[in-house]
Amino acid sequence: MSVSVLRNSSYSEPRILLAGVLAVLVHLVFIALLVFGLNWKDHPPEGMVVDIWTELPKPLQEPVKTKPPSKQTKPAQEPAKPEIKKPEPVKPDPPKPPQQQAAVTPPVKKPDIAMQQKPEPVKETKPDLEQQKKKEQERLKELDKQKELEKKKELEKQQELEKKKESEKQQELEKQKELALQKELEKQKEIQKQKELDAQRQREQAAKAQREAEAQRAAQQAAAARNQVTNEISKYKALILAKIRSRIVMPPDLPGNPIAEFSVTLLPGGDILDVRLSKSSGHVAFDNAVERAIFLSKPLPLPPDPALFNEFRSLNIKVHYRE
Amino acid sequence: MSTTVTQDMSFLHLISSASVLVQLVMLILVLISFFSWWYIFRKLFVIRNEIKKTDDFEDVFWRGVDLHALHQRITSARYDSGSLERIFAAGFGEFNKHSTGSDLDAIMESTRRAMRATYQREMDYLESHLSFLATVGSVSPYIGLLGTVWGIMNSFRSLSSVTQATIAHVAPGIAEALIATAMGLFAAIPAVVAYNRYASNTDQLATRFESFMEELSNVLQRRAAG
Repeated sequence: MSVSVLRNSSYSEPRILLAGVLAVLVHLVFIALLVFGLNWKDHPPEGMVVDIWTELPKPLQEPVKTKPPSKQTKPAQEPAKPEIKKPEPVKPDPPKPPQQQAAVTPPVKKPDIAMQQKPEPVKETKPDLEQQKKKEQERLKELDKQKELEKKKELEKQQELEKKKESEKQQELEKQKELALQKELEKQKEIQKQKELDAQRQREQAAKAQREAEAQRAAQQAAAARNQVTNEISKYKALILAKIRSRIVMPPDLPGNPIAEFSVTLLPGGDILDVRLSKSSGHVAFDNAVERAIFLSKPLPLPPDPALFNEFRSLNIKVHYRE
Repeated sequence: MSTTVTQDMSFLHLISSASVLVQLVMLILVLISFFSWWYIFRKLFVIRNEIKKTDDFEDVFWRGVDLHALHQRITSARYDSGSLERIFAAGFGEFNKHSTGSDLDAIMESTRRAMRATYQREMDYLESHLSFLATVGSVSPYIGLLGTVWGIMNSFRSLSSVTQATIAHVAPGIAEALIATAMGLFAAIPAVVAYNRYASNTDQLATRFESFMEELSNVLQRRAAG
């Protein structure tokens, strides 16, 4: 019994869970290391991603956009002027019509009243002159009152008409104002559009100019590069000739100025692969001397740019006996 | 924190964009790595505990305590006993069963057998999972390498369709693939170190146990004779 108990006890392991937690911790540290390790690689691409071209046009557009607001302020001042001008014509108009109407209407109505009232007093004159006079006076008073009332009514009508006219005029004025405002707004818009168009044109022109300038520059650079290339080639050809000439042991006393032509095949680095006599000078001694000199002068001087080697792959070398 | 999140995303993206086999290899390696670290810590605690218990018991034993009392204490404290204590308990228990006074050689032989059996069991327990660590140490680099080779194969195969080959076409694929190797090495290196350390520790413990068994049998023989 005791043995079996002991055996069981031997498998009770201490701190298994702690071990698991520690293992997880170690892996978290490892993952953190991996993440921070990649962190370094992530930064350079971020720098590379930045597009210079997408950012450059924006500053060009922004100054153009900032200008319109200043132009908008000017149009805002312009609408203020028409408002001041239009009220002025309103005042002279209304006073005239009331005067004309007042002058015309009362005379037309007075005769009617006079015709109706006058026949009556004529028939009743004899019985009571005083009464008639009184009545006439009363009638006259009444007539006066009626006239006054009529005048008042007419005045009121006139005033109403005036008011209506004024209101109509005001409405018209308002309409005119609105129209004017709309026109001005349209004008402003057109101006803005024109300005934007101008700005766009300017931008396009600037872009074109830039492109042209760049093209010119590129062409110039290309031309310069070509010039440089040709210069380099001629320079190194001259160097090669000079080096060969310096190695020639001239055979003495040859008649005239014989010319030996050799076609030389070169390897990159200036080594000589092949030398062939393409046109003899007529003097074997001179030909041999030149051939020996060519072999002696290897490696031949070549331009450091390997792209230019094609120009030197097969050289045609002319050597004059006398310079 | 926001920056680390985006970097974490890019790291996850790097793993998620890998091919299926590479991802599988990474998963296997993560599991292997986790279990190997778990066992590393478990064995660390077990072996440290064992060494401490062995030291304590040897201290107590050679101080000349009454063996009966010692045996009683060990059998009563079931779950707090070390391997050496259990070996002693097995041997002394077996010796006491023969105390009627029969043949000395037979008594000593059976005592030694009992102690050896317990010793074998204890060594088996101490050395358990060490073979797992050894396997992880030797195999996980190869698993990681398999993932890397596969990833590089894929990235080069995708390169064949491109006319102008640049390092930028291959680099991300290789970086992805190399994560597998990194994980394999991360699992393997500590496993190898831990295996070597624990193997030497258990060897030391084994020699201590064996020498103690010899000494205990001497003590018991003298006790039986005297």
